[in-house]
Amino acid sequence: MKPGRAVGIDLGTTNSVVALIDRDGAPRILTTKEGSTMLPSLVWFSPHGPVVGERAREGLEQSPEMTVFGAKRLLGRRFDHPEVRKLARVLPYMLTEAPNGDTWIQLGNSRAVSPEEVSALILRELKHTAERFLKETVTRAVITVPAWYDAAQRQATKDAAQIAGLQIMRLLSEPTAAALGHGAHRGADRRYLVCDLGGGTFDVAAVDVEAGVFEVLATTGDPFLGGDDIDRVIVDNLARDVRNSRGIDVATDPAALDKLRIAAQRAKHELSEHASAKIDVPDLGELPSGKPLVYARTLRRDELELWASPLVRRLEPPVKEAMRRCGRKREDIEEVLLVGGMTRMPAVRKELARVTGREPSVIANPEEVVAIGAALAVARLDGAIEGVLLIDVAARGLMISRQEQDCELVIAQNAVIPTREHKLLPTRHDDQARVEFDLWEGESPDPSVNRHLGRYAVVDLPQAPAGDVLVLVEVTLDTDGVIRLGASEMVSGDRVQIDQVYHAGLARSEVVRLARQLAGAT
Amino acid sequence: MAARTLQVRCATWDQVEVFTTRKLRKGKLLSMKVPFSTRVGSTLTIGLELPSALVIPIEGVVQRIAPVEVDGKPDPNRTWIEIELTGFNDDIKQRIRAARDDDPDTGVKVAPPAPERRSTQMAAQTDLPNDERELFQHLTAELRRMRQATVHDVLGVPRDAGPEVVRMSWKDLIRKHHPDLVARRHAPAITHLAEELTILANRAYDRMRGALAAEGRAALAGSSVAPPPGWLVAFEDMQSGEGQPAPKRGPNKFERPATPPPPPIKPIPASAMAGQGSDAFESRARAMLAHGDPNTAREVLAAALVVYPRSKPLRSLYYVATALAAMQQGEVMLATAQLETALAHHDQCVEAAKMLEHIRRYGARDPDAMRRLFR
Repeated sequence: MKPGRAVGIDLGTTNSVVALIDRDGAPRILTTKEGSTMLPSLVWFSPHGPVVGERAREGLEQSPEMTVFGAKRLLGRRFDHPEVRKLARVLPYMLTEAPNGDTWIQLGNSRAVSPEEVSALILRELKHTAERFLKETVTRAVITVPAWYDAAQRQATKDAAQIAGLQIMRLLSEPTAAALGHGAHRGADRRYLVCDLGGGTFDVAAVDVEAGVFEVLATTGDPFLGGDDIDRVIVDNLARDVRNSRGIDVATDPAALDKLRIAAQRAKHELSEHASAKIDVPDLGELPSGKPLVYARTLRRDELELWASPLVRRLEPPVKEAMRRCGRKREDIEEVLLVGGMTRMPAVRKELARVTGREPSVIANPEEVVAIGAALAVARLDGAIEGVLLIDVAARGLMISRQEQDCELVIAQNAVIPTREHKLLPTRHDDQARVEFDLWEGESPDPSVNRHLGRYAVVDLPQAPAGDVLVLVEVTLDTDGVIRLGASEMVSGDRVQIDQVYHAGLARSEVVRLARQLAGAT
Repeated sequence: MAARTLQVRCATWDQVEVFTTRKLRKGKLLSMKVPFSTRVGSTLTIGLELPSALVIPIEGVVQRIAPVEVDGKPDPNRTWIEIELTGFNDDIKQRIRAARDDDPDTGVKVAPPAPERRSTQMAAQTDLPNDERELFQHLTAELRRMRQATVHDVLGVPRDAGPEVVRMSWKDLIRKHHPDLVARRHAPAITHLAEELTILANRAYDRMRGALAAEGRAALAGSSVAPPPGWLVAFEDMQSGEGQPAPKRGPNKFERPATPPPPPIKPIPASAMAGQGSDAFESRARAMLAHGDPNTAREVLAAALVVYPRSKPLRSLYYVATALAAMQQGEVMLATAQLETALAHHDQCVEAAKMLEHIRRYGARDPDAMRRLFR
């Protein structure tokens, strides 16, 4: 069977990009129907079915509670995770708890969708974008994920791809992809520091490239710092300016705020190149006289930098922490890569240059370099590029516990994947037919600190006195950082079946059902 | 010691021809560099693998040896040897000819086209056979070998290898076996084998770098292992106050490594400090182990390791104590792993070796037998 075409996908918090390598070996970013290289990671569940991308912006105005953005932050997260609790307070749409404790999104009264499904809709749109260009079906993809994504989040990303009808060739960590997209595989051995300031998150990673082997040594970041925050600061200040100069408070008018947001974004982009930008909103609202409220002013770069300075100052701690974690000093870093659209902003560049003590490399397309890296990884897996190896490590440790006992470490944090470790569970009662155990993510013996991944049961054990039956549980973290479980009975050596009592993420059958449903919908 | 075997793989009949005619001096003298040391007069077997997958053993005797010199210094891990292939007689030659005539592919150039390489750095991967069936067999054999090997042998490093050596060998290994390298074949069986091999390599690497970090010989960050930023100072390193002044050492000498050694550092029990020197700790711990109190012994040893971080006997004993404690809990697997770790730290640790032997022979039904080892 000839495998279908493959693409590289940067599935972002705010924007997603799809890229591939042309037959002549040049990377190419594919454009959406609207002619943009970036697809906003936005899904509007409109009355006429889901709308994805640029056209879903309409939904932000019409029905914000039915328009999902930033689903990547919810992917594979428990509902009681502190970050999700924080998001639940600020998001315009409702979050709800799935029966297994996952975070789902409540759409109106009737329906809840999983973040996997939302991501699948975005991935399907990217797949269609590529298919429009290639005029061939696309069936495989390399998708990038943040380096700190844990096993559950990676599994959720994989599920999303499967629902969208894409087979994952490899999950690639974003800093690695950025270094690859920058062309690190062609150059000499380097120690990179990758700073990725995108729409919603700031990620810092130390990446070593040595003889074609890419390794991520340490990652840190700020999950709530990005271009959207800077937009919000500009909008707040502009709204205050409207109130002061016109005496009209637009802060409670979502439509007006949205217009201000679009103007603010445009001005922000312009200010990366020029010292001042014009803001012109002809119909911001209605004056008491019935005439439209026209708002126009010039915004200077120093004004923007003043407003953004509290945010820019937050760039320093993660960078320092990343260097501390890999035991590096500022002098040890040989190249600083700036990734993500927000790094075009001169103030951000200046701050990162100050913190790292080194002038960052200029990347022509900081928004697209991660997707290009993913496309290069596709070419690498298909054998078109040689001499590159991308190494990943376990983002968090994996632990096993039995009922009412402490967790015990099975796979340590920073273990190089793929890896496998085992744990021996003897029976405790005579003729015990079933051994239950829990799988956790974390490093603490206290279960309440760790994230519960699932409860499993080994069933149909042979009858024997207590302790004579030994169940060997094998935990494998595969090359994508996804968990596989296997069990055997030590005395006889037979494989035994593992039942899932409870399991984080979507069930296999559910993924298959959703994939079929989505394939039927097109 | 059993006679060693050297495998010579010939992918084409041309290579067989080259081997039998041009590689041999005077028809039966073969010289090469080997990664082990040997003696003059010891026997070696050359396994000549023919393209038809038939392996023909040829007896040989080492005639001359010489150390391999790197930068003017002899490399301890490599030796140059000259072997006389005493078993390379007419009978063998006849068998090779017969095998060649039987092979239906004879005459056809089966030599795989040299893969185009962009980078010369990735030389290892091109060693792999190109034919899928052959690759499958090669990987299966490799997996079988590595499953039975100790962590050192998986990585192919000596037991006391430093962080750089461990890291380089691991990199070479994954550059040969990583599943990404065979992904283009779209063969699930081969990808699976490659993943299994990579798992073994990664596990061995994780174990070894963990051991190095525990000894204070390495610092860990992410997937890397590097020499520690400074020399870990131990009591035994420092000169006592009277007598000659301490010899001058580099400024790094007094830095602690970035990662502290993992044994839990507990307040040192006053009783443990009663004796003097690492021997006192050791005998005290041994007495506790003989007494069947591995947990206290562990604490004493953890405390002692703070003072003598590079003492191999103490560290191996610490792992032995952990193993005994695990055994009392019925955790045989954990105990075995701990004992293996003890041996990885200090291959002279008699107790660990004996206990492992005991577990392998009788299982772990009898913890008292273990205790008796310390009497």
